[in-house]
Amino acid sequence: MSQTSLGVLLVIICTLLEGVGQVFLKKSVLGAVRWYLWISFGVVILFLETIIYTKALSFLDVGAAYTISSLNLISVTLMSRCFLRERVTRMRWIGIFLISVGVGLVVART
Amino acid sequence: MRVRNKFPLKLAVGLLVAILIDTALQLVWKSAVLTVPDDGSPWLNVQAVLHNPLFLLVIFLMACQFFNWLMVLRNADLSYAQPVTSLSYVTVFFLSVHYLNESTDVLQIAGILLVLAGVWFISQTDHVTRFGEHRGV
Repeated sequence: MSQTSLGVLLVIICTLLEGVGQVFLKKSVLGAVRWYLWISFGVVILFLETIIYTKALSFLDVGAAYTISSLNLISVTLMSRCFLRERVTRMRWIGIFLISVGVGLVVART
Repeated sequence: MRVRNKFPLKLAVGLLVAILIDTALQLVWKSAVLTVPDDGSPWLNVQAVLHNPLFLLVIFLMACQFFNWLMVLRNADLSYAQPVTSLSYVTVFFLSVHYLNESTDVLQIAGILLVLAGVWFISQTDHVTRFGEHRGV
């Protein structure tokens, strides 16, 4: 596996961790019972993501790595709809789609 | 007819601060990573991190970002706030080209424009889900 491929793989793993961690943080501010557990687990997951992302930055340009990580919008949006019951309209999905295509264009040359 | 929820000023400020901190964080982080010697020794790398003020700045920025983000989440849907802060992708891209001398081309510029358009679409939606309207399209 090339260094670029490894970097892309690590950033994609980070996007999944970002989705889970953000849902946990949002749960903590929703007045959930045992909010401190939600925030603690959220922080642990995001810390793990930070370590992996730091490693990924040594393989990729920061512009490319950061833009690939915008894929976390898809996982965050899906998780927000399923687990937080947020209203995700067609307009919001269009926005997510445009951002994702934009990301594809940017990473196509890496 | 649906009426959009009022957009609170503190949410606007929180989102702006999130974008600014995110931008600074990414650039400082990359600069810090570039200073770590690439000798394959994890212990030496840890030592380098602990003695590097840039990594301390990264940690400070992360702490600021964390508390600001909790405030943003108290005032907006996660699926709204997260995409809006993706505006920092645009700022990071241009600043990394300018200050870190990373290369760019026309396709990347087109991609950045699409990201901007996507954020505009998302900004046209309600920032919070009111009780009983969680089912999306």
